[in-house]
Amino acid sequence: MGVVEEHDGWSDVRGMAVRFHLAEGRSTDLVSMTLPVFFAPTPKTFLDFARKARPARCRRETPWEKIKDYLRLQLPMPDPYPGQTERPNEGAIAFANDHFWAQAAVLDASSIGAPVSYVRADYHAVHTFVVTGKEGEKRQVRFTWAPVAGILDTDPLKPPVDAYLQDDLKKRLAHGTERFTLMMQIGEAGDDFEDSTRQWPPHRKRVMMGTLTLDHVPEDQQALCEKLSFNPWHLTPGIDPSGDPVLKIRKDVYAYSSNRRGGIPCPFSGAKG
Amino acid sequence: MSDDGGWLNRYVNTLPERGWFQFLSKYVVVPYWVWREGKPKLPGGPRPSQQPSDSTQRMMNLLMPLKDPSPIGRAKAVMALAQNVDEIYAGLDNVGTVHSARFLLVEDYICMISVYDGDFSNYIRDFIATIGSVFDALMQVVEGGDKLAPCEHNVEAFIDWVRAHDLFQAPDFPIEMFGLQDAQVGKVPNHPPHALQTLPRALILQLHANRNISLGGGYRGYPGFSAAQIRQKLGVGW
Repeated sequence: MGVVEEHDGWSDVRGMAVRFHLAEGRSTDLVSMTLPVFFAPTPKTFLDFARKARPARCRRETPWEKIKDYLRLQLPMPDPYPGQTERPNEGAIAFANDHFWAQAAVLDASSIGAPVSYVRADYHAVHTFVVTGKEGEKRQVRFTWAPVAGILDTDPLKPPVDAYLQDDLKKRLAHGTERFTLMMQIGEAGDDFEDSTRQWPPHRKRVMMGTLTLDHVPEDQQALCEKLSFNPWHLTPGIDPSGDPVLKIRKDVYAYSSNRRGGIPCPFSGAKG
Repeated sequence: MSDDGGWLNRYVNTLPERGWFQFLSKYVVVPYWVWREGKPKLPGGPRPSQQPSDSTQRMMNLLMPLKDPSPIGRAKAVMALAQNVDEIYAGLDNVGTVHSARFLLVEDYICMISVYDGDFSNYIRDFIATIGSVFDALMQVVEGGDKLAPCEHNVEAFIDWVRAHDLFQAPDFPIEMFGLQDAQVGKVPNHPPHALQTLPRALILQLHANRNISLGGGYRGYPGFSAAQIRQKLGVGW
């Protein structure tokens, strides 16, 4: 689900990848997105979903179709943005109508909006990881970056602006810093540890792990952003991937993608792109 | 967001905000759907769960309708509580599973909003044991309360009454509304799945059946910890 062209003002999911540089040259990655839940529980079902939700030619509902929706107490599909000719929404919704496990993500993705700034959105690592404590105890956890500036989307009733997120970040960081808090939610027996279509209740124990401070945007965006490669399996001892089959396949998918776009190889980039 | 869809498209996009369409929806469209596929009232309070953090810091939002909503009737309700403040504080201290509790007078209801650990029925039983006399006083000013006093002689009926007046807690994730509605009419939840587009209707029809609801399970600053754990950690008793 998603459109290749970038339109900052369009409702869509955004991502954030963070590499923690640790002692003795070690590092660990955390790859996250603004959607809190995933579309499918397994690689096979995700492929089924992706085929159905491939962006397709879209049209505006006629006024009569919209009135019919209102009379059914349903919301019409949003009008396409100016210049928008295709989108994944119709295919994704049709797929979700037959597959309950896709409904939470499709509903969230359909209404996610556009953040006013990269630092006014929360980012979820979505999959479960297994962390090991000092005494060797293991816990299943999920991570979220919560913006200290708060979450805020653009007004969907105003015309969307095509490119503003990079400039906004540069302006903000020219005058100060922006911060995110890393929250860790602890799962309990009975929660789904291997299915990222299933969210955990918000009242599970959560731990404030620390703060990420952004202080500048590097000038060389090609070398210091576009060429970088992250991998959700690039983890430090003490953090392990869960058995989530979608997380499992992301290891090779990220390495393949890194090779294909000529990125700086990530630790698993043996695969040929 | 509209592009160049013409005046009719722009007008239709604003229909939900137009007075005449809101009037039509309120008096014709919604009643039609209530007649066609109305939903039964969903029960109040937290839903059953075996998981540890689900049985700590549960929310109770008890709305008790006033027998007499006039200023005099309201004053009687206030007095019933004001005369029992010491009993309430001492009782809640002794229950030991309560994080917070407060009473509100809102419109025609006297409300008890509390956060507690453990099982709902046991919470109410503890209440009856420790502040039953307060509830007896309260039942005199509450509609239908006469039949329940004294609470200690009508324990099960009182529990049922509280459960019926505790607000339905909407699910934290909207999509779960479908499954709750299925289960309430004895169907297997989401078998077959519901069309996503019908979620607004499902919500509107539920709000017709449950006029007042709790929006989700509520925020907790330190989720998953019981009152006893916090007191022990802070060295303030128990």
